Amino acid sequence: MNFELKRKAVTAGIVMGVMLSSPVRADYQIGFMTDLSGALSDAYTPIWEGFDLYVKALNAKGGIDGEKIVLHTEDDGLNLQKAISLTKKLALQQKVIGIFGLSVSSIHGPVFEELRRLKVPAVTAFSATSDSLAPAKPFSFSTGSLFQIAGEAIGELTPKLGVKGKVVGMTIDTVGGRAALRHNKLAVERVGYGWDEVAFPIQSVDFTPFAQAAAAKNPAIVVGHYGTAQNLGIIPALRRSGFAGPYLIANYGVTETAIEGAAKAAGSGENIYVVSRYAPPQENIPAVEQIRAAAKAHNLKSSLTQVHVEGWVLGMVMHAAVTKCGKGCTAEKLNETLENLNVNTGGLTGGPIVFTKDNHYGASFWRLYKWNNASRKLDPVSEWIRRDGIEFGSL
Amino acid sequence: MMQSILTIVVLTSIYAILAGGIVVLYRGTRVLNLAHGELAILLGYLFATAGMQVTGSILGGMAVVMVFSAIFGAGIYWLLMRHLIAQPFYVAILATIGIAILAKASIVLLWGGRAVNIELGANTVLYPYSTGGWFSYLDAITIATAVIFFILLYYALTSTRLGIQFRAVAENPLLASQRGVNVNTIMMVAWIVALFAASIAGVLYGSRSVLSLQAVVIGIGGLTAALVGGLDSLRGAIAGALLVATVEYATVRLIDPILSQAIPFVLLLTVMMWRPWGIFGTREEIQRV
Repeated sequence: MNFELKRKAVTAGIVMGVMLSSPVRADYQIGFMTDLSGALSDAYTPIWEGFDLYVKALNAKGGIDGEKIVLHTEDDGLNLQKAISLTKKLALQQKVIGIFGLSVSSIHGPVFEELRRLKVPAVTAFSATSDSLAPAKPFSFSTGSLFQIAGEAIGELTPKLGVKGKVVGMTIDTVGGRAALRHNKLAVERVGYGWDEVAFPIQSVDFTPFAQAAAAKNPAIVVGHYGTAQNLGIIPALRRSGFAGPYLIANYGVTETAIEGAAKAAGSGENIYVVSRYAPPQENIPAVEQIRAAAKAHNLKSSLTQVHVEGWVLGMVMHAAVTKCGKGCTAEKLNETLENLNVNTGGLTGGPIVFTKDNHYGASFWRLYKWNNASRKLDPVSEWIRRDGIEFGSL
Repeated sequence: MMQSILTIVVLTSIYAILAGGIVVLYRGTRVLNLAHGELAILLGYLFATAGMQVTGSILGGMAVVMVFSAIFGAGIYWLLMRHLIAQPFYVAILATIGIAILAKASIVLLWGGRAVNIELGANTVLYPYSTGGWFSYLDAITIATAVIFFILLYYALTSTRLGIQFRAVAENPLLASQRGVNVNTIMMVAWIVALFAASIAGVLYGSRSVLSLQAVVIGIGGLTAALVGGLDSLRGAIAGALLVATVEYATVRLIDPILSQAIPFVLLLTVMMWRPWGIFGTREEIQRV
């Protein structure tokens, strides 16, 4: 073999050796998938922003044991097929050890099935399904709002409004919305309230007829189990229809910005209440100060809202789980860690987030807030109440 | 009772403006625009942001939106629709579906799909109902806008040179062309007028409800009204809007709110079976796809 040929062979061998050698992935690969461009993106985007903010703040402090979190973000656009293929991409190509976020609950089932097959755990925020409730299905965890538990929590907190009479529940015609109304009804009837309800199609043109239908039932209190777009339409329509009493928002991703907009459109911010699992970013606690500092340091463009806090808490759960899992954490090890996790959120939720082998949702804490139009923030009206699973009947 | 009647009239006004835009476009170009709802909401977003926030006034905002409507309308015709004139009729309809997708994608790209109220400051009491609610200045503005819109449209079509040319093209484009009417200009104007109508409807809708990705369904209400009344009849647009609004409202209050989006389609199917060209539409040969 002549010299030139030998030289080329050695060069080729070196190049192939470099290409074929596995890169050493010292950082933790974490996946985040949610709706960032679909019909509910205004609800889910703040969750991602809060989580991303937490990761940035964590990495700025050196990451976990000197290793950074590499966040792979994907947008499912509320499309189920896209969500499943992105799940595979995150697990098989990006080799993430866990997927966080997810979007609407109707997508969770098939995505969880795929994740079980791939043996990668997922922790959802905002939306939750019964997969995470005891007896929990493997690889499915949640820090979100399960409709049935949210409905019962709202029912338990309703007497704090100081008004008696009939509660009219309103929702969009979805499985989750109907479930929330059912459990809300059972909870308020137990404490002596009457009940009636108005459900309307998800895609409705004008909310005025539905608001008038609700007002015609002579409610003392109206509860809305839906998201931002519906609240922005229903609140002004309800006030125009003659209902001036307490309106209670079940906080499925409704931001303070949206409440302010609805109050403006309604001509008054009076008598608007929110029940939420998460503290608003105006509370005077160190954990909120950390979020504010991170938002400033990393130039968060959006105004901080309660929904960002929810994303931040999801980041705390991820941090605690990966730290406990330790160096060399794999997806299956992370899953085992998540099944024995206790996260102190520093007051951002009413108590710790606790996952066990059998219960991947744990106890949840809820609080009643009143919208203060003058200061444009949510003021707490009650203490935190604790809910351990679903109390009334079955799912 | 008064509350119900006035609510129906307000809803009729918005549907009528939407349907009027669809009818003008169909009469002038024989294109059924399936992107009308998406364009209405997109223009509503433009009013709320580029319009109101930049100019700081409602009139300034409307002026900005009218400019965008003219640009979009002219652009859609010259860049796309003009090239589809010789194609089978369904090609243009499919093209409008593409426009709808682009409009929705623009809403996501530019505003992240977030829900937005348009605040005109007119939601205050004009006439209080005995039930405790009220008929607001915004409700009155909505009705007045629809009335003015149709009066101006009627005047334009019957008393202006452009309007007469438009009617000539609508009647027989080949003959109109041979008589010296610039058919391309007329068709472009039809698109611009349709988008003017969409922008007005989008702004009024966003003021009393909310602009969001889900709000594009308002286009279905306008389309249903136009089909029920007759795709080439402005009188039919008003009648169709009244029928659809009444049926929708009555369904919510008397039957079940869940059926409020489905029952208008039952009305549509009933009218289609009885008079496929709509209540006031011109009897035409039906082309099967």
